[in-house]
Amino acid sequence: MQAQSLEWIRLDAGENVGLPDLAHACGMSDTELRELMDYGALEGRQGARGEVVFGADQLAPLREAGKLRRAFDLDMFTVALLLDQLRRIDALQRQLRSLQALLPAHAGARSKLSP
Amino acid sequence: MKFQDYYEVLGVPRDASQDDIRKAYRTLARKHHPDVSKTPGTEERFKEVGEAYATLKDAEKRAAYDALGRRKPGEDFAPPPQWQRDFGSQAFNGEDIDLADLMAAMGAARRGAKPGPVRGHDYETSARISLEQAHRGSTLNLDIAQQGATHTLEVTIPAGVVDGQRMRLRGRGGKGRHGGPDGDIYLHIVLAPHPVFRTDGHDLYFDLALAPWEAALGAEIEIATLDGPVVLTVPAGTQAGRKLRLRGRGLATGRGARGDLYAVAHIDVPATLSPRERELFGQLKDISTFNPRITGGQDHQHASPVT
Repeated sequence: MQAQSLEWIRLDAGENVGLPDLAHACGMSDTELRELMDYGALEGRQGARGEVVFGADQLAPLREAGKLRRAFDLDMFTVALLLDQLRRIDALQRQLRSLQALLPAHAGARSKLSP
Repeated sequence: MKFQDYYEVLGVPRDASQDDIRKAYRTLARKHHPDVSKTPGTEERFKEVGEAYATLKDAEKRAAYDALGRRKPGEDFAPPPQWQRDFGSQAFNGEDIDLADLMAAMGAARRGAKPGPVRGHDYETSARISLEQAHRGSTLNLDIAQQGATHTLEVTIPAGVVDGQRMRLRGRGGKGRHGGPDGDIYLHIVLAPHPVFRTDGHDLYFDLALAPWEAALGAEIEIATLDGPVVLTVPAGTQAGRKLRLRGRGLATGRGARGDLYAVAHIDVPATLSPRERELFGQLKDISTFNPRITGGQDHQHASPVT
């Protein structure tokens, strides 16, 4: 079996995703994504050819919001609110991970690295 | 074809309003959503509820469904002949066609949709990897469930991924149909806890236990890093909680750089003292003017030793 290594795309803010690609990935139409932009829940930026592109970090919360939308038949305004909350949870989880890194480990598990 | 009583599935009367149908659906969807309920069979129930709602929320589909009349759930029935004309004969091909498929075909036929390119399904999976694998990159076997079967895809995870990282592998998801492109795989990276290091992005943290005299006088201490042991200089007067940074000794970013390694100082005292140690600590107590409850020249004293 040949290991695949070249196609991975990191879904970070530095990577761009076009509108049609984002729409497909989250199961929404271009029009619905534009509605989210109108609500201020989704922010685009200008791509190299003047087209609207989005940070790839938008993809995961949008896919999650899209799944919940289909599961519960949510309207787009609710999706916009949901998206804000999902991003907030994501930011809090990141903060939590940072704070946990600073906390001392359990006393019994503390490293004894000195000789 | 087996009859499904969609009203019974949603628990609403046949004359229920659209609002009542939506409310009943949302209640059941919340109850049986696979993320919420771990009861066996919940996914099947969630799917069943979704199929019922897909028909009853749509006025035209609901009217067509109502025209079938009342039947017992599971009862065999033949779809009315005009359905074949309305939906196209293609919808009736295949032996395992069911009512939900027909209702879905009705929506497609109404939109005038022809079988055009359909992109393959996307798959989501997570991989739990070690900190060393994140640092150096690794080859993993991903189990992908596809069309009722599971196949294994061997992939190389590049160096530099962090805990919580999300990645996309294009064109390795479900097969596209009618000339449509294949779907993608979405991967969520989870780092397994490490016995020594904790991570914050590409930075690493570990607890450095110091004896009181090492913290006070400073010390040279050999510590483990991802690249092997190095000697860390602990400055004199190191306080508990102080972070000592070793630049560029953290995780690889995958873009040619490294995070930093932080030693977080903790000061341990001997649990028991030998007579000589007790004598020396006693001498120190007698001659030292240090008061840990007064900091920065300001008295924040809220506790005093009882003499």
